Amino acid sequence: MWTFILRRLLYNVPVYLGILALLMGALRVNDPISGKLGKNPDPSDYLALEQRYGLDQPFAVQYVKLLGDVVTLDFTDVESWTNDGLFVGEMLAESIVPSLAITVPALCLTSVLAISIAIISAFFRGRPVDKTLMVLAVVGMSVSFLVYVIFGQYWFAYLLGRGSGLSYFAIGGYESGLANWPYYCLLPVLISTFVAMGYDTRFYRAVMVEESGRDYITTAKAKGATKTKIMFVHMLKNAMIPIITRIMTTLPFLVMGSLLLEVYFNIPGMGRVLYKAIQEQDFPVVQTFVAIFAALFILSNILTDVLYALVDPRVRLS
Amino acid sequence: MAKFMQQRGVKKLLKDRLAVVSMWVIGAYLLVALGVLVGNLFTEGGLKSETELRIGPDNVPGAWATQSAEARLRDATFYLDSIKKASRGSDPAAAYAALEWGSDRLPAWKPDRIESEIIEPADEISTALADHRELEGNVEALALLDRLEQVVRARIGASHDESGNAQRSAGQSFRMLLGTDRQGRSILVRAIYSTKVAVQIGVVSALISVLIGTILGAAAGYFGGVVDVIVVWLYSTFSSIPWIVLLMVLASAFRGGDWDGTLIPVYAAFCLSFWISPCRVVRGEVMKLKELEYVQAASAIGFGRARILFKHVIPNTAHLMFINFSLLFIGAIKAEVILSFLGLGVKNEPSWGVMINHAKAEVLNGFFWQIGTATVFMVILVLAFNTLSDALQDAFDPKHV
Amino acid sequence: MNSSHLTTRAAREGSAPGSGKPVLEVEHLSTCFKTDQGVVTAIDDVSFELYAGETLGIVGESGSGKTVTSKSIMRLLSEHLSFQKEGSVVRFEGKNLVTATEDEMRNVRGARIAMIFQEPMTSLNPVFTIGWQLDEALKYHTKLNRAERKQRAIEMLELVEMPNAKRRFDEYPHQLSGGMRQRVMIAMALCCEPDILIADEPTTALDVTIQAQILRLMDELKSKLNTAIMLITHDLGVVAQTCDRVLVMYAGRVVESAPIAQLFDAPRHPYTKALLSSIPKSGRREHGKRLPTIEGLVPSLFHLPPGCRFAARCAYRDAHCDAVEPELTDAGPRREVRCHYPLEAPEAN
Repeated sequence: MWTFILRRLLYNVPVYLGILALLMGALRVNDPISGKLGKNPDPSDYLALEQRYGLDQPFAVQYVKLLGDVVTLDFTDVESWTNDGLFVGEMLAESIVPSLAITVPALCLTSVLAISIAIISAFFRGRPVDKTLMVLAVVGMSVSFLVYVIFGQYWFAYLLGRGSGLSYFAIGGYESGLANWPYYCLLPVLISTFVAMGYDTRFYRAVMVEESGRDYITTAKAKGATKTKIMFVHMLKNAMIPIITRIMTTLPFLVMGSLLLEVYFNIPGMGRVLYKAIQEQDFPVVQTFVAIFAALFILSNILTDVLYALVDPRVRLS
Repeated sequence: MAKFMQQRGVKKLLKDRLAVVSMWVIGAYLLVALGVLVGNLFTEGGLKSETELRIGPDNVPGAWATQSAEARLRDATFYLDSIKKASRGSDPAAAYAALEWGSDRLPAWKPDRIESEIIEPADEISTALADHRELEGNVEALALLDRLEQVVRARIGASHDESGNAQRSAGQSFRMLLGTDRQGRSILVRAIYSTKVAVQIGVVSALISVLIGTILGAAAGYFGGVVDVIVVWLYSTFSSIPWIVLLMVLASAFRGGDWDGTLIPVYAAFCLSFWISPCRVVRGEVMKLKELEYVQAASAIGFGRARILFKHVIPNTAHLMFINFSLLFIGAIKAEVILSFLGLGVKNEPSWGVMINHAKAEVLNGFFWQIGTATVFMVILVLAFNTLSDALQDAFDPKHV
Repeated sequence: MNSSHLTTRAAREGSAPGSGKPVLEVEHLSTCFKTDQGVVTAIDDVSFELYAGETLGIVGESGSGKTVTSKSIMRLLSEHLSFQKEGSVVRFEGKNLVTATEDEMRNVRGARIAMIFQEPMTSLNPVFTIGWQLDEALKYHTKLNRAERKQRAIEMLELVEMPNAKRRFDEYPHQLSGGMRQRVMIAMALCCEPDILIADEPTTALDVTIQAQILRLMDELKSKLNTAIMLITHDLGVVAQTCDRVLVMYAGRVVESAPIAQLFDAPRHPYTKALLSSIPKSGRREHGKRLPTIEGLVPSLFHLPPGCRFAARCAYRDAHCDAVEPELTDAGPRREVRCHYPLEAPEAN
């Protein structure tokens, strides 16, 4: 098992090195310092900034520095350009909790609901229940995310309880603390769940339907297993393999996936920090956040492989 | 054998009634887009100028909606105010003639006639109306409102009969059909124009992505070895950054450059993140095809490797290209909305994303027609593509998850 | 036609089991499928009996309805894509399985009628151990406790001659070879001592040597446990080795049924004769002579001819065959044939 993990880690090293090179290259297409100082900067100002942020050093040196920062998880010496005196380490520490406060519950809720609906749909495959659910899923998928966000905010945060002067959900903003969670975070969580439902339900149903056509299902039936046993024991354990992959590949998006929601609802999570950094051309923040994100993505890929091996006995040995 | 399979797939596709309907829908959208494109070339200033035209007051609902008394008063006042503003200038006659709301204009009267027949009576009624706090259900006030509209709005039109009553042109009725946005622009015209933008973005980015993906994927799958390692490394790398972040980084990388304000940064961003999925799928398929007898036979006969790849292998991934094209088309249209919201998308032109993004402030005031129109236009197209790609998968790839 | 090399098993025909009451009676069984192109009748008016301790072979080309017959008996076909025609009866212990409730069926499946399938590679659930899957059947149909079930499962694995049965218990299907997996399937099918074992092409996917072992094993277990076996196959060689009686199917119809020796020695239906002559004869190859094959294709179930379904490929056909479909008629003791012009039984030899 350990050699397996180690092999996966080694395999992903070149991928990560590539991401960093790509990222740094892309961010230097337009000179970041000119971006900050305007089109015709004073040469002395330019040089001063270049030196201060280490951008005068060769690409390779900067590359090693960024890689070192990510590997040691130490971002305390990376200074933000637009938030005076703020370092990326602090920004990361502050923004990670609000991000997770939305994405973790959203992922759990989506997965549970989507898998349940998929099972119901697969159970009644070809019948009206299934057909209705699938039509809803396709129509739901065809509406823009932004429309859900706009109407979600309008109906639940703006209209709901307005008659009685009550407010159940915040129009936007964020306060830390568990007691504040439902007020600020529940609505974004629900919207994000609703948006993901269409895709996930269809995917999980397809997985279930695929499994339901397998020979071992007929064997189980011929053995005298009940329909529920077949569904929840035989099929679900096999279906776990694609399900886990699906969930795992969305894991890294937990950190930045709700960027749109964070921006719209003014929640100071990582997505919004990155968005603002891109808007304000806060070069070091963009570079570091994306680098961290890619690292998380790769780690979760490795974790997926490991989980795979745990669920599927066939993978373990090969 | 492979050709036979393809034909069977096509036959199956044409038997699927939903698929045929969605193909017609997509065809209709393409026609509209083509019409706008051609119209843009052959009309002066382009159809684009039409989308920026103020055709009336702000936030007028569509033709089917019954307006509240307040909204009617607001609209009448809007016209009256514009007329009054023109009369205050040094050359009222010229100013009156220049007044235009779409193709609507005032009757060609002398300024004093406009003064006496429109402005003075309208002012009188307005003053009388100002005494009424409540309009709704107030019979007297509603009668006044009717008269005000008679005096002001009934005079405004593309052509006028002898007494100056308006004959609204077909063009103007069409423009007003789905109401106006916050800046008094026609929602319908903007939504139709946006069809061109959407199709343009969808076709260009999906086509380029599928081409890049297919060529790289086929090369990786067919040649294997170093080529495969490089391609797999490349797509692992690109797919490790979520597309939204990749799009943002790329869009901001283009900012300030020569291409800023054009669609090129959008295309570039989409293509760079979209080529991955066709590449992956085609690579897998080509690895399978490579083992098939006819491909083996072709190479045994001594055909060149490149020839086999382009003549025998790639054509057999055509169904995957179609499926991916339609999936990526949807992806591009939907991503455009998000990019527009983030301020990185389409500029200088209306698009559904721009419209939805504009509409978010209107929704809080209860003006749904802009977001509604843009959403309906988009949903129908996306739904058609979704249905088509499902049907394509059913027809060509029944084992697809 | 001399087929003595094939009749090793049939030699025992004289003392054939199958006297007394049948364990399973299938009467007028017709199964239809709902497809995109309309309803299609996959098996049409199939009737036969299965006696305790007997091995009944069902033979036919692919698409002849062999598998549909077995799955209809077990009711394993999708319920909203298929149905049985009115009047179909599968009588087992006085009950009609066609109309039995799902609960009643569950008590029959695995416990009283068990089944093994063609593909041992995919018929076992890949994510559960062999032991778990054996245990499952015992859990549903016996009152044994956990330890007893494990003991019984291991016994069964030993009975099917699984080497290292104790260790195999905790292994996963992918760790076993095809032949071993089929042994597991047999162990699983027989662990509740069913009255009937339906084997759907149990050896098709296996190597010839493994095939012989599996067939021998089934035969031994049959006599040990007194189970009736319904063996579905397209391989007449397999039939010759193991069966007591044979049912030949063509395009959803039973065309001939006969005790094994009689069928091989004197086929009465032209289709049976054609099938028999397409078997290669070992040891007496006639050089330069091509193995006879049956010309033409099985008719599509969507476009069945009005007359005999085999007519298009039959050497003996005439206008009557094209116009009227023959009935299944008695053709001697325990023999039936569906032909207007059945082949003559040769002189007794």
